[in-house]
Amino acid sequence: MKAGLEVHQQLATGKLFCDCNAELSEEVVARITRTLRATGGENHAVDAAALFQAGRGLTYHYEATPTSCLIELDEEPPHPINPEAVDVALTMALLLRAHPVDEIEVMRKIVVDGSNTAGFQRTALVAVDGSIEVGERTYSIPSICLEEDAARKVGEAEGAITFRLDRLGIPLIEIATGPEIRDGAEARAVAEAIGALLRSTRKVRRGIGSIREDLNVSIEGGSRVEIKGVQELRLIHKYLEEEAARQTALLALGKELGLRQARVPEVPPVDVTEIVRPTSEGPIATILKQGGRAMACPLPGFGGLLSPNGSSSHRLGRELADHVRAVGLRGLLHSDELPSQGIGEAVAATIRTALGLSGGTDAFVLIAGGEPRILQAAIRVIQQRAQAALEGIPPETRDPLPDGRSRYSRPLPGRDRMYPETDVPPIPVTRERVARLKASLPAPPAEILARLRRSYGLSDEMARQVLRSGEEERFELLVSKGRSPGAVARLLTQELPALAESGQPASAGFAIETLDELLRSVEAGTFAKEGVPKILTELAAGARSVPDAAARAGLSDPGAIDLPSLAEALVTRNADLVHKRGSDALGPLMGDLMREVRGRRDGQEVATALREALRRFLQKDPST
Amino acid sequence: MSSEEIPTDPWEMVRGLPMDRGIEIRTPDGRAWTGTLVPSHEFSGDRIVQLKLASGYNIGVRLGRQDTVRVLDPRRDASPPSTPLPLRATPPPDGWVALLTTGGTIASRVDYRTGAVRPVRDEREILGFYPDLERDGPVRVIPVTDRLSEEIGPADWLAIADKIVAVFREGAVGVVVAHGTDTLAFTAAALAFLLEDLPGPVVAVGAQRSPDRPSSDGFTNLAEAVRLARHANLAEVVVLMHEGMSDNRFSIHRATRVRKMHSSERGAFRTRNGPPLGTIIDGAITLGTDVRPRAPGAARVPTRLDGKGELLWFHPGLEPERARRQAEGLRGLVIAGTGLGHISLAHLPWIREAIEHGVVVVMTTQCLEGNADPYVYATGRELLKAGVVYAGDLLPETAFVKLLWALGRAEDPKEVGRLMLADRAGEFEPRHPAMDPG
Repeated sequence: MKAGLEVHQQLATGKLFCDCNAELSEEVVARITRTLRATGGENHAVDAAALFQAGRGLTYHYEATPTSCLIELDEEPPHPINPEAVDVALTMALLLRAHPVDEIEVMRKIVVDGSNTAGFQRTALVAVDGSIEVGERTYSIPSICLEEDAARKVGEAEGAITFRLDRLGIPLIEIATGPEIRDGAEARAVAEAIGALLRSTRKVRRGIGSIREDLNVSIEGGSRVEIKGVQELRLIHKYLEEEAARQTALLALGKELGLRQARVPEVPPVDVTEIVRPTSEGPIATILKQGGRAMACPLPGFGGLLSPNGSSSHRLGRELADHVRAVGLRGLLHSDELPSQGIGEAVAATIRTALGLSGGTDAFVLIAGGEPRILQAAIRVIQQRAQAALEGIPPETRDPLPDGRSRYSRPLPGRDRMYPETDVPPIPVTRERVARLKASLPAPPAEILARLRRSYGLSDEMARQVLRSGEEERFELLVSKGRSPGAVARLLTQELPALAESGQPASAGFAIETLDELLRSVEAGTFAKEGVPKILTELAAGARSVPDAAARAGLSDPGAIDLPSLAEALVTRNADLVHKRGSDALGPLMGDLMREVRGRRDGQEVATALREALRRFLQKDPST
Repeated sequence: MSSEEIPTDPWEMVRGLPMDRGIEIRTPDGRAWTGTLVPSHEFSGDRIVQLKLASGYNIGVRLGRQDTVRVLDPRRDASPPSTPLPLRATPPPDGWVALLTTGGTIASRVDYRTGAVRPVRDEREILGFYPDLERDGPVRVIPVTDRLSEEIGPADWLAIADKIVAVFREGAVGVVVAHGTDTLAFTAAALAFLLEDLPGPVVAVGAQRSPDRPSSDGFTNLAEAVRLARHANLAEVVVLMHEGMSDNRFSIHRATRVRKMHSSERGAFRTRNGPPLGTIIDGAITLGTDVRPRAPGAARVPTRLDGKGELLWFHPGLEPERARRQAEGLRGLVIAGTGLGHISLAHLPWIREAIEHGVVVVMTTQCLEGNADPYVYATGRELLKAGVVYAGDLLPETAFVKLLWALGRAEDPKEVGRLMLADRAGEFEPRHPAMDPG
């Protein structure tokens, strides 16, 4: 496997080309509707990815928030570039030993998936030829760019996508590594190292989605595939492994198709609406009842290979379905999965006949929808993707899924899609500017590690964990507020990540004040440290404050628990055990009592109460 | 790969190179930059060479005197040979719409290499750019001029009007005029005053975003303008532009009542003193009841324009002597006055003198909404007594255009004054209905 990373980090400055605050918002102040058109370079050299997206003919709805201005709406030319963001990018260039360019030229990169209102993203190359050392190896950093973040997708319907404009225009630094990464563990280590370096500037945004990785992967005989926008570092290795497995499976499949001399006839789609009409249940029946049509196309020789029995999740049928989804349909049915979804053997046989299929290894694909234009586009992409399967792995861009797999999103963009952004003047990188930034470079991560050990007495392991989790800034902030280093480290490196792993999306968004209050509450004994996960869960679920979360979790009044009575009742309930084991019953009973009071009392206290109850019980009934 | 080492100041050598050459710049400390030479930005720094890298990014490299430059490849054929364009079938097919191009954002495109904007004149290029135009009928593209709209003046208005007459006589069912937006309203108003006996619609249209952008409003504006010109039962000059920020809503403005009210928004064009003439919402064309319907007729331009008229924007502190000098040699002057149509009475002497010498002085309001009304304040009454023509709710720019037309039409100042106040192309709105302030 050969892999490269592109790390995209949002900066904690204002937006890149306007004077709006870079804040996400749930308040929508205006809605507008737009369409985008693929436009071409000289000689109409329209970029493949751009043409593909525009060919979808989608309508885009944009939601403006209180932090949107006419620039995000593409109703006003951009302002000059945010100089603070340029300084952060140049600082990163220096930290990565890269060479800044002499003059930064802002480019327009055509992106017509609707995520940019203009139909292009503004981006600029700031520095080249850097490197970073991770572990024993040095990885090349061919480029460092500064660009605008895209709008946030908040909704999708047939033929229309809704975006919110709050994220559009937030500055992003894009750091690309060379294709030198050999496995998932290396990828994660490199991403963590770049992340630590970015955070050392103290000018980066935090929280879910503020740092995103694009993974470029290829295997021997495969193609370059880009998995775009991975937000979870801990899943990087999973994405790489899944992608390598997918390419391996598809290469094997291509070989088999070759042996069978499978082919993709270039025939127009066959309207099978009337054949399918007797079907009374399933999604296709519903679409036909609403006036939709059903269409099919033949795939001779593909039978049994669209979803081969017992194979991995990397099936060609799934690839076809993903392509169909990308042109705006909900999905497809193929002959390997029939009978299902209301389509029975008889209907399938009639479709085969209509398509002129007779061979036992012949397959077909069936789709349905309301818009003939979209149906025809879908059949076209099915044929193109099936054809590509005969030839190998198509290079493409894929979207990461939460389970570590990925899904086709669009063709890989090429260099045709960039041309100068003439509305923004070039930005000189003067010697004076570089010298000023050099003089105030932040401490490197190794120095921070040493400081964490020295100044706060953290163990080497704990210090590394703080740094790896990217929490050194919040760590130092909370400790400076008087919280204990050990408790802060535990909160930031164990309790918060555990919450994130449990799937709580808001976990990274806690204000520093909230975390401070939480730790103070534990120190004050308002509730025991075992209660912290429960409080965090309640906060993530929408509790307004720490006391509110404590109330919701039933932890608000630890004094209300009569620990001695609980202990006594437990011992009485387990009289047999206590008779048998005497005071050694403490161990087994301790777990039960902890579960009963979980989080509301400290473990030490619980043990004391239980020991006392056992002592009394045994005194009363010394029969053992 | 051929190479030639250049011993002298490399800057001189690079400046002499044609664009699109692959070059390598090597600094004395061993750094190398390789890319294709592209034109530098107008505001690039001293000795900055702009290179397009293989990644597609452009960067600026400051060329030091000690740097060496190598030309990497012999001259490449930058673009495939262009095939001569076949002329479109003549005579034109039935039911065609004439698209007159005059330059401006809507008929210009970006040189993707340099980012420079250049006008498009060629019919096939325009239709290639706007593939939707011929969806429901033929379109002929006829270039009239190719200038940004701030360069367009009264002589061009006449040339465009004459061309409109010609294409209607050749059988066009409607005419679209693609024009830069800055002075689109001036040109449209001039066409409305100049053209008589129109058989069909003349739709002036522009774009606020250039068509190199996927988001350009030019695509939908032009497509809707062609549809309007082809299908609408309308025989007057209108302006069609986005109603607001969305691509599915358009306003149809009467040419004499519209003004560009924003420097960059798509919905910059607004009808003043009332609602627009019509709308197109999700493809549905709705027109008001008082539009002039199609009628058989050979369009004509019976009147030429007289350029001896100007527009004076009054402001506090404007020196009377300076204003007097501006009026010298003119036959007419429109004043955009304050409020109800006022100008400091310090100006009264030169205004009186000018009127006595036969200059037609027309008063409008720089408020852009509401009437110029001489009766409310003493200043207005003094100006009226001096012979100033109060032009009601006529927009200052429309009044100026109309003045050139009226001066072309009549010699006698009294007749010019009368023409100024007679409604000719729906330019007055006598009734300003109560509207929801929204």
